[in-house]
Formats: sequence, structure tokens, C-alpha cells
Amino acid sequence: MTNKANQMTAGQRVRAFVQASPARMTFIIALVLLCATFLYQPESFKPTTFSSIILLTLLLSFASAGQTIVLIGGGMDFTVGAVMSSSAILTAYVMNSQNGRFLLVFVLAMAMGAGIGLLNGFCSVKIGLPPMIVTMAISNVVTRLQYVFTQGSPSGYASPDFIHSVIDRIFGFLPKLALYALILWPLIYFLLNKSRFGKQVYLTGNNPVAAQLNGVRVNRVRILTYVFSGMFSAFAGMLGTAYMSTARCQIFDNYAFDSLIAVIVGGTAFTGGVGSYTGSIAGALLMTVLSNALTMFALSQPVRNIVQGVVMVLLLIIYNRSKAVRQ
Amino acid sequence: MEAIKRSFIRFRRTPAFTGCILFLAVLVLDLIIQGPSQFFSAKSLNTLFSKNMPLMLVAMAQSLLLISGTLDISIGIQLALVNVVSIMTMQVWHVPMIVGFLMGMLASLIASALCGFAISVLRLPAMLASYALLIIIKGVNVLIMPKPQGNVPQEYYRTYDLLIGGVIPFSALFLLAVILLWLYLKRTKFGRNIYAVGGNPRNAFAAGIDPVRVQMQAFLVKGFIVGLAGICLTLMTASGNPLQAEDYGIRSLSACIIGGLGFGGWGTMGCAVFGGGFLVLIQNTVYYTFTLLNRLMPALKITSYWQNLVSDCIIFLGLLMTIVTAKAQRETLKQGFVKQFKRGERIDK
Amino acid sequence: MFEMRGIEKRFDAVVALKGASLHVEPGEMRALLGSNGSGKSTMVKVLAGLVKPNAGEILIDGKPVLIRSGDDSRRLGIATAFQDLSLVPTMTVRDNIMLGNEPRGVLGMVDDRKSQKEVLSLLERFHIDCDPDAFVQTLMPSAQSMLEVAKAVRLKPRLLLLDEVTASLHRDEIDVLFSVLRELKAEGTAIIYVTHRMNEIFEICDTATVMRSGETVAEVSTSETTLDTIVYHMTSQQPDAKVPCGQEEFDPGDRELVLDVQNLAMFPKVKDISMRAYKGEIVGICGLEGQGQPEVIHALLGVTQPDGGQIFFQGKQTHYKFPADAVNNDIGFISGERNVEAMFPMLTVEENIFAGKAAKGPLFAYIGDKAVHAFAQKAVDTYNIKAGGLRQPASSLSGGNQQKLVVARWIAMQPAMLLLDDPTKGVDIHSRREIQKILKQCAEAGMTVILNSSESEELLEIADRVYVFYEGRVSGILSGAAKTPERLAAAMMGMTREACGPKEAE
Repeated sequence: MTNKANQMTAGQRVRAFVQASPARMTFIIALVLLCATFLYQPESFKPTTFSSIILLTLLLSFASAGQTIVLIGGGMDFTVGAVMSSSAILTAYVMNSQNGRFLLVFVLAMAMGAGIGLLNGFCSVKIGLPPMIVTMAISNVVTRLQYVFTQGSPSGYASPDFIHSVIDRIFGFLPKLALYALILWPLIYFLLNKSRFGKQVYLTGNNPVAAQLNGVRVNRVRILTYVFSGMFSAFAGMLGTAYMSTARCQIFDNYAFDSLIAVIVGGTAFTGGVGSYTGSIAGALLMTVLSNALTMFALSQPVRNIVQGVVMVLLLIIYNRSKAVRQ
Repeated sequence: MEAIKRSFIRFRRTPAFTGCILFLAVLVLDLIIQGPSQFFSAKSLNTLFSKNMPLMLVAMAQSLLLISGTLDISIGIQLALVNVVSIMTMQVWHVPMIVGFLMGMLASLIASALCGFAISVLRLPAMLASYALLIIIKGVNVLIMPKPQGNVPQEYYRTYDLLIGGVIPFSALFLLAVILLWLYLKRTKFGRNIYAVGGNPRNAFAAGIDPVRVQMQAFLVKGFIVGLAGICLTLMTASGNPLQAEDYGIRSLSACIIGGLGFGGWGTMGCAVFGGGFLVLIQNTVYYTFTLLNRLMPALKITSYWQNLVSDCIIFLGLLMTIVTAKAQRETLKQGFVKQFKRGERIDK
Repeated sequence: MFEMRGIEKRFDAVVALKGASLHVEPGEMRALLGSNGSGKSTMVKVLAGLVKPNAGEILIDGKPVLIRSGDDSRRLGIATAFQDLSLVPTMTVRDNIMLGNEPRGVLGMVDDRKSQKEVLSLLERFHIDCDPDAFVQTLMPSAQSMLEVAKAVRLKPRLLLLDEVTASLHRDEIDVLFSVLRELKAEGTAIIYVTHRMNEIFEICDTATVMRSGETVAEVSTSETTLDTIVYHMTSQQPDAKVPCGQEEFDPGDRELVLDVQNLAMFPKVKDISMRAYKGEIVGICGLEGQGQPEVIHALLGVTQPDGGQIFFQGKQTHYKFPADAVNNDIGFISGERNVEAMFPMLTVEENIFAGKAAKGPLFAYIGDKAVHAFAQKAVDTYNIKAGGLRQPASSLSGGNQQKLVVARWIAMQPAMLLLDDPTKGVDIHSRREIQKILKQCAEAGMTVILNSSESEELLEIADRVYVFYEGRVSGILSGAAKTPERLAAAMMGMTREACGPKEAE
């Protein structure tokens, strides 16, 4: 019996390595893919490519922060994109190219994000609908609100200071957005890994019945995950505005799906209970590099859609099958 | 007299009752706002039916899936699939429209079969799997028809907008056809089986029913109805558009829930009809209310953006209605228990 | 002639059946009896096609058959009335009775008129007073049970399986049921009757098969055996029905009354339960499966609200809405259903141990890795939990070590009262002894322990007092000298009903 355990096949070794740290695996795949794209188009190997990949990865990682927390807790947040877009419109409108309004915009964006998150959480938890449907419907409503607010033509720009604090490069290629990461990433790490709240999120996602019986207030925890998600998405929307310097309706809607896939690819299961933010960062890198590669191969939008859909089906098949009726 | 009273009590207990009440309430509201003469005018009634028939049919198709315990959120984009396949077949292969429609129907059946395979056989979660399919079909649609184009021969779309005998909208025939189909299916073994599989798959299995087979059959019937809806859509728009009706997925779910359907084993297609009717009429009401407001207070400048917002809010609120239907179910259950408890105290055993 | 030979079945780590056998002839009514963990329900599920046995064969008239689904079972002439009901609550009475076997009419539609006739005659035969168009979920549980049997009988089976169908029936309904069963017997139907009500066995069954721990231990004829013999086969104890059942008979001395449950009622399983627990006591709860024990534990924990009666904890009445309320009041809960109710399979061992502390306290407090690790290490050392490493996933632990982990999780929180719901189910003997030792130490340190166990021997060993449940009521309170296995067996089988049953009409 023990002999067999020692003679693991190469395949089993690989499986053990992957399962030990999906984040590592994803990170490696991302780097390999990146190298492949450089080999395919050597002229793309320059600082601008790096800085754009880093910037987009960072942005996606911020958007995925909330999604990670929600998913680990067993839910799903489809409003990430809509909240980001709404936050972008709000930022552009309030800042209106004036410096010194950052704090005001921050407070407003956080309030909006938290409010939408609260609505998301309350409906998902108390109503009994699948979180996907609820957050999808809410995302539609939020999007319509954008149009009503702007009457179809949003106005304003992010302030110059703010824009510079995001897109200026240090050392020639590293966007200053990375400095925001120095604050955000540890914060998320604390929330998920080092706070009682984070522990309760993992417990709730892993086995909600056991968590409840052990004294965790499961409903409260779940609602809070949505609130945090709303707030992180709102902040990501602010930063995104600085990157794009202005906003239009539905500008960041693709982040809903992209954040979901980034988090799952990074090792968090659809059903929750496992995962880490590091994995989501790796997933964000992989998604950005993949998107870059797809652009490079000049794949049209519909083909990209099909690829995205198939990837999702494959992930579902690998990760997520229910039990049969007969045992 | 007794018979009427008894059938009313029976109707009151069906799941479609709340939906019916809501529908009638909205109907009254719409009549008040629009005015009966305007509402019942042949033209406006015809438009009401012909423009909204695809949504109604989609809601009815979705109800079949909900009864059997699953759902399909890509049902909306499947409409567009039927639309583009029909138009492109006609354009590229120069075949008559009928053949185009047949190909569209076939496409719908294939899409539904794939969806059913993923959800019933592979046991992937319905929401996520059908969402993935939505994205895939979106891509496929654009590959088939890169830009909105094409047209439908005049005889076809003229017929669709026709009023038979000056009273009955042609599009209503589609509704009638599907209702008749449901009335038939409801009385077959299949009709009983979907309720059992949706209500309690384990008990259905114990009774000798194969849940996987029944769900696949439900998906295929749904595919057929969606095919009809796609044909309807094509006749209505008289052209092709690869990216339309995507939101019919959520809308149909909302319509079904408003009508009283639950997520498995509870509800009838009547719920979908009333719920869909509710959504259609309330949209109508909102439109006319805004037109009225715009006339009375032009300073307000209410645009179509407001209309869309109100529309989507109603769809969202409609989804929340599921607490009402779930509660109604629980209440009836509780009544049975309390009766037993009381009896148990009398006849002590 | 139906026969099952050498049936084996394991569910993951639990062995449900190890070489069980059963046979029944046409026209014979055979009782299938067994205490907790005997495997009798699994045998029924195998015949019904819901469970696939790992080994063994099933023979009908001497020929081996395969039962792979509910459909196969029906085709072979077997009809089952399930304990937890196989009715679809959201369908009508008529649709449920005809389900899977509707008469064919015109154009593939179901012949409703024929169905209605059949259903009405069936309802009449079983004296069920309801409208065929009523939804099953609106009916009383006793009517639903009768329907479940009617549905099976309608199939005109060669073998009728009845699994604990009389649990919620009143006396008059049982009489109707028995007269129908006698008719069926006369017509040559073979009947297997699973029950825990001893009087029914002698009233209507010809023979009985007794199972224990997954094996068949006895096959007797009811006319040639006594109740005591049957109970002996089920529990390997000779029952002694002289069981005390009053609370007043126990003198607590000067110990503080920690828990006082008065006339607890929860529909439908708990009818009237009163119990007390004093500080530093281990109070045991036991009985056959499904007599209300886990429901009482859940009510104490705040998972469900009782329909009647009151619970007083530390002098104050409890109004818990969720378990979190109970946990914050120093109550801990250890479940035997580890996978469903206690373990977090994909989290590490140390996270699992820390789960109790994670549930209680300020929400955004900082919890460092070192704190978690130290806490977990201490628990592992104290309770001798064999884990490969604290960072391993908890699913890698054996059943016994998982249970010790759950125990450690709670004891480290030092609750005032510890509730345990069958904690040693499926746990190896060694870990079981260790857990028992830990519980004893806790009680000595002043913790009050309420222990629900399906292992009666275990309770006799470590509990100070044992409450025996039967059909939602206390059928015996054993303490001191009266705490004998014979008395326990008698109380479990309801043999004390004359002495301890509900008082007749007030």
C-alpha cells in the first residue's frame, strides 16, 4: 500500500502540484502564454506592452477583489461591471477636471457601491433566488440608471492629478497604479485571510449548514461580502476612469464576466469555500495576457465570445457537477 | 350554481390565480390610462399582440423548463439565432422562406438539445451553463450574420400584421397554437412526468420515471416553441439582427415568476401567459403614462431612458415576487399540519 | 417467492449491510425488524431500486434479477411505500397515485376518467377522506401516509414493501390498513412490513426477520415466539420493563439546575418531552431512530423553534432564533453528521479546529496565522488527534480523528453546556473511547453534557442519567441502579408504555 503511494505517476504528480496551488499554476500558464505572444510578434516586446498589460491586470485584479470575496462565500456578483461603469460616470461628472475632489468622489463612490452591494446581498440572501439572476437584474437596473442620469451623454473628465497618479510610469514601464495596489492588496489580504470576517466567509462558503450550526451568522456574512464587493468595484471604477480619462455608459460592463472567470481560473470554485486573492491576481494576469493574445491573432469579437463561453463550460465540467439521483 | 362555485374554488387554488389577478389589475389600469376606445381599437390591439408575441412565447417555453426543475437564460439569444439562420439560409441558398424557417427551427432544436445535454446529462448548474451558452450563441449569431441585414418577402410580414376578419390579430394564432399544444401535453404522461421530475426528482425516479429523459424531452419541446417564437420575431421585424432579444431570458423568468411559477413542480403555462401579459401591459401602461405626463407637463422632459429604467425595475420587482409565491405555498402546507396537530390532541394515541 | 442473499453495501466509509438476507413467500406477511444501524431501511431501498448493492444477489422464483432503477423494481412486481414518503407534494392526489403508470387514452393522452374511477375506489378502500384534486402538500401527514400505501397497492404488486408506514397513523386508520393488508395476503401478495411497533408485529405478521448491524440474525414465526425473544435478537438484551419514568425520583443534591425542558412539543416528531440536566452531569438521550431525539437537540440549539413547551437554560427562558444566539450564550454543538453539519472539508485542519473561535467575537478583529496555529496545535496535542500536518485539508483525516477535531473545537471554547448529536456514529472504537474520556473530564470540570447517541451501550457507560425516547415522549428515565441494558432495551421498544405512556383522558 505504501509502495503505491510513492510511485506516483507523472500525471499524478502534476495533478498534485496543480491542486496544491492553483494560483501558481495559473501564474505559470500566464507567463508561458506571454512568452508565446512575444515569440509570435517580437516587435511587441517593449515597455508600452508591459505597462499596458500590468495596468490592465491591476485594474482587473481590483475589480476581482470583491468578486473573490463573494465567490468564496458561496455567492456570485454580476453587478461588478455595472457598478464600475456607474462609478466611472460619477467620477467623471463630479471631478469635472478639477483637482482636489478625490475625497468627495471617493466617499460618494463608496456609498454607491455599498448601497448596491447591500441591495445585492439582501435580495440574494433573503429572497431565495439564485444570486446570479438577482445580481443580473440589479445590474440591468443600475445600467438604466446610468442612462437616466446622463441622458445618454455623460460629461466630465477625471482630474489631471488623479489621471497622473494612475497612468504615469515609474522606471519607464511600471504604471503608478501599482502604488494603489500597495494599499488595496494588503487590505484585501487582511479581510480574507487575517480577519474573523474572512474566516467566517470561508466557513460559510465551505459548508453553510455547518457554519450556521457552529454559530456563524451566515446571512449577515453573505450580505457583507456583497457590500464589500460593491465598494471594491466602485473603487475600481474610479481608477478605471483615470485610465480612460473619461467615462461613457456601460464602459466597464465586460468586467462582470471577466472578473468571474479571473477568480475561477485563479482557483476559487464556483461553489465557494476555497480560493485566495493571490489566485485571483494570477487569474487577472492570465485573462489580460489571453485577451492580448487574442487581439494579436486578430480574432474577431464573435470568435472571442465563443472561446469565452467554451472556457466557461470547460471550467464548469471540471469544477462543478451535482450528485446523481441514484447512489 | 354549485358547479360554478366549486370550479371557482378550484381555480383559486391553482398557481395561476395570483398571476391572473395581477394581469386583470394591470389590464384595468391600462384601460384607465389609455382609454378603452384607444385600447380596443383594432390597430392598437393588433400592435400589442404582434409586437409582444415573441416575448409571450418565450415566457411560455421557459415555463416548461421551470416546471421540470431547470431554466435556460440563453432563451432570448436563441430567438436571434432562429432569426439569423432563417434569413441567412434564404439569402445565401436562395430557398423559399418556408425552408428558411425550417432551418431556423432546426437550429433552435439543436441549441436546446445542447443546453439540455449540459444541464440534465452532465449535471452542470443550469444558471451558469445556460449563461455560457448565451455567450457562445452570441458569437455564433454574429459569425452567421455579421451585420443586421436581410429582408422578409412582403407577403409574409404583411400576413403577420393582418387582422383576420378585421378582429383577430394573426399573431394571436401563434399564441393559440402553443396554448393548444400545452393543453394536449398537459394531459399526456409527459405532462405528468415534468411535474414529478421538477417537484421531487428522487420520488419521480422511485415511481419509475427517468428524470434525465424527461428533462431532455422538456428541452426539445421548449426548443420547438422557441423556434416558433423566432419565426414570429422574424416576421415582426421583417429583417435579421444577430444581437437582439438577449434580455428576453431575464424577462421571461420574471414573467413566469410574476405569474406564479416556482422553481420546480409548481405552476402551469397559464402562469406564463398571465405573467407575460402582465409585463406587456405594464410596459404599455408605463409608455402611455409617460406620454400623458409629457403632454401635461412638458417641462419634465421624460425620455425613453426613464421608460427603460421603469421597465427594468418592474422586471426586477417581478423576480422578487418569488417570495410571495413561495410563501403562498408554505402557508397551504402549514394549514395541513396545524389541522393534524389539533386532531392528535383529541384522539390521543 | 422473493429472496435476497448475501447483500453487502457500503456508503463511503460506513458499512450498512454485510451479508444480509431476506426471503418471503406469496401470501406471507413478514416483519423486518432492527434497531439503529441494522440496515433494514437499506434493504428496502435495494429492493426499490434506489440503492445499488456492492455484492449479493436477488432472486425471484429462483431466478436472479437486476434492479437498477425504480422502473425495474416496478416491472418486477415490487411496490414500495416509503417511510419518508415518495409522493410529490406539489401534485394532486390523483396524479400522485397514478404516477408512472397512467392509463393510456386517446392520442397518447392520459385517460382521466378511468384514472378518476380508480382513484375514487382506492380512496374509498382506504377510507381516505380527501378530494382527488387536492394538492398532496395540503393533506395531513396521516392521510399522506395512507396515500403512500394506496399508491403502492394500486400497482397490484407481487411483493409489497411497507417501510414504517404507521408512524403517523391513528388507531382507526391502522385498522383500515390492516384489513386491506389481510385482503392482499389472501390474494397471494407477499408483504414485507418494516416497523418498530412490537404490538403490530404480533397483530398482523406471520413471520419476522430480525437484523442487527447489517446482518440477518434471526428468522422466526410470530406465533412461536415472544416479544422478549424478539427484543433480545434486536438488542442482545433480555428486556426488563420495570423502568422508572418520573423526574421526581431523582435527587440532584445541591447541584445547580442548568437545563430545564418543560413539555417540549415540535410537530410532528416531538409530542411531549420534559427533561432536566444539572451542572457537571452527562445526560444521555437515546431511542430508536426517528423518535424525536435530534429534534430536541435542534430546539435546544436554536435551529428550530418549538411549537409548545418551554426551555430554561441557566434559569432564563431561551428564545433563540439561530444557533448563533445559543453559541453566544455558551452552548456548544457537536454533530455526528460530520460531513453535513460539522466539517469544512476543503479547509485545513487548523482552520477547522479554529472554526468555533472564528464564529464568536468581534467581526473585524485581527487573527494571525500564529494564533490559529498555536490554538490548533494545543488541541491536537491535548486530544491526541492524528493529523498528517495542520495545514492538510481536513478531509484527509480518518472519521474518528475528524470527530475528535470537532470535539476539540468546542471544548476549547469552554461552553457551559455541550450538545452532542450522535457523535460517535461511524467512529472507530479507539477514537470513541477517547471521546468518551474527554466528555467525562469535561463533566468533572463542571460542563453540562447532553448526549444523544444511537449506541445505547455507550450511554449506559458514561451517562449519569439516560432519558429514553419513544414516539415523541419519554418512555423511561434510567439512573443509578436502574441503569441496566435490559431496562434500556425495554424502554426503547416502547414496552413501558403502560406505565410511562400518556395519561388517559383528563
